[in-house]
Amino acid sequence: MTNIKMKQIRLLALGVLALVASLVLVACGGGGGGLGGSDNSDVTTASGGDPKGSLKISNWPLYIDGATIKNFDKVTGTSTTYTEDVNSNTDFFGKMQPLLSQGDSGGRSIIVVTDWMAEKMFKLGYIQKLDKAKIPNVEKNLIPALQSPSFDPNREFSVPWQSGMTGLVVRKDLAPDVKSINDLWDPKYKGKVTVLDEMRDTIPLMMAADGIDPVDATDQDWLDTIDKFKGLVSSGQIRKVTGNDYIQDLANGNVVAAIGWSGDAIQAQADNENIAYVQPAQGCSIWSDNMLIPVGAPNAAAAYEFMNYVYEPEVQAKITQYVNYVSPVEGVKQILLKQDPALANNELIFPSEQFTAKCFNQVSPPGDEQQVQEVEQAFEDAKLG
Amino acid sequence: MSLRQRMTPYWLLAPGLLWLVIFFVIPMYYMGELSLKTGTVQTGYELTWAFSNYSDAVSQYSEQFIRSFWYAGVATVFCLLIGYPLAYAIAFKAGRWKNLMLFAVVAPFFTTYLIRTIAWKTILDDSSPVVSVLKFLGMAPDGHVLATSGAVIAGLTYNFLPFMVLPLFTALERLDERLLEAGKDLYASTAQTFFRITLPLTMPGIIAGILLTFIPAAGDYVNATFLGGTGQAMIGNVIQSKYLVVTDYSEAAALSFTLMAIILVALLVYIKFAGTEALMGEEEEAT
Repeated sequence: MTNIKMKQIRLLALGVLALVASLVLVACGGGGGGLGGSDNSDVTTASGGDPKGSLKISNWPLYIDGATIKNFDKVTGTSTTYTEDVNSNTDFFGKMQPLLSQGDSGGRSIIVVTDWMAEKMFKLGYIQKLDKAKIPNVEKNLIPALQSPSFDPNREFSVPWQSGMTGLVVRKDLAPDVKSINDLWDPKYKGKVTVLDEMRDTIPLMMAADGIDPVDATDQDWLDTIDKFKGLVSSGQIRKVTGNDYIQDLANGNVVAAIGWSGDAIQAQADNENIAYVQPAQGCSIWSDNMLIPVGAPNAAAAYEFMNYVYEPEVQAKITQYVNYVSPVEGVKQILLKQDPALANNELIFPSEQFTAKCFNQVSPPGDEQQVQEVEQAFEDAKLG
Repeated sequence: MSLRQRMTPYWLLAPGLLWLVIFFVIPMYYMGELSLKTGTVQTGYELTWAFSNYSDAVSQYSEQFIRSFWYAGVATVFCLLIGYPLAYAIAFKAGRWKNLMLFAVVAPFFTTYLIRTIAWKTILDDSSPVVSVLKFLGMAPDGHVLATSGAVIAGLTYNFLPFMVLPLFTALERLDERLLEAGKDLYASTAQTFFRITLPLTMPGIIAGILLTFIPAAGDYVNATFLGGTGQAMIGNVIQSKYLVVTDYSEAAALSFTLMAIILVALLVYIKFAGTEALMGEEEEAT
């Protein structure tokens, strides 16, 4: 018995030793290599060629209709793998960064991320520039409102996939009086409201509601608003900080009002007519998700072909009909007016200037990466409660 | 013994050792190195022996550390309180239902962990019958159960219960019933037999169960993500957010190491009290 005990103790000691050894190795190893550290000084332009072979695309869930990929493969002879593996810009970046920093895209030739993330990735040298001669439909059909965003004024590396608005999504029957972001903080809705876990969605809307112009907001404005957010989180006023899953909570009434996305509201409305998008009194935030060709993309030719293909108004109309977001392609409304007038007249899909008069383009905190990371850190810490 | 015979154990060990070196020691090395670096994704990382990563991690997230161990501790106690009678019943009272009941304990594993946790969202939905009853009993002061500590602890308890029941069952199953009869013969009451015979002899099962429940529960972040709300983040959530959202790899690595170190120390202390036999399985019957 003691013999056994000795052996067991020795085994454990070995385990501990292995741990210590690994730490000592660290000490001796040191320096060099590893993660991160690149810039975009050597950005290349993705080259074209014969658009055959296989094409791998990463996009967000429920962001395309069922037929487009099949049709594209039929027309062009490519074989497309379409994966819905982007659930949040930050998570996707966290997963891809180690690959992209080595010039590898994990086989992807197109990835779709939101404006600010597209900018961040481009600055890090993870994204290739586009050869516009290869995408004539984009040149021809991109709607004027999206032609020169501040992060990519000439659309040199990004092509919008879909656009949308961040605002209020409410249950009309349970919270009829929610008209502005600050109405969410009414004590009677304590524990019944949620906000989005992407800082750039939630914080600028809160700033606008408090009379701060998000576009000119200072670092301090961001931090102050995050402070207010932190208070609402710890008091339990905000029940949860969510990704896509707030829609289920709204559908079964756990949550009566939320900061959410316009397209979600229309999709959810089909199942529960009490769910509606409400344009916040102080305006909404407008964003786009963009197709990008990452470094190391194995089949840029097919990627161009795909971008070009979805900018055919007929093709785009099918996508719009399914996803219900704001389409970046000119001519879709005319097609839908014939096929689906209700959709064509929906302000959330084809917003009028009046509807978005007070809205602003989604913003990031000012300052260099260091400052931005500090603000991001403050937001994350506030979320963790 | 010939050389060949003496080498046999090493050959048998080789695949396991190789696996451990590739998937434990090497990653551990890189993580350790990373935890002492400073930098960002943009600028790259440089080894600066930044032990401040550790002190920052602990001071800034002590609340989440404490919360994790508190939740895991409470869940472990509940698992033991629920699991022991269950294992006892299966071992001694189930008769021909024994196998079926054991199967029922293991059955949840046929569905993924994630789906089971999400199913609890439906069970604890604000308008579900369960929550109505709890509200009626005054056990849901905020009018909801989801997004509270209670929901997270309930989820942890549910998810780790089998890890408690199985070792307990094994220990109870091996218990020699003649010892209980002997106790009765010597005029011990039922309670006395239990506390002086059954409990001590099943201690190894209890300890194994506690370790198997507590360690993964302390590092869990799935339950807090789905069942918790804004004030229920556990240390696993902090690490996840550090790695994937803020991409502060160094501090995430430091946090992971700290969590591991705390658990390791707790384990060693625990073993000191409970003895190694308890951890490694028992040989006592042999004596």
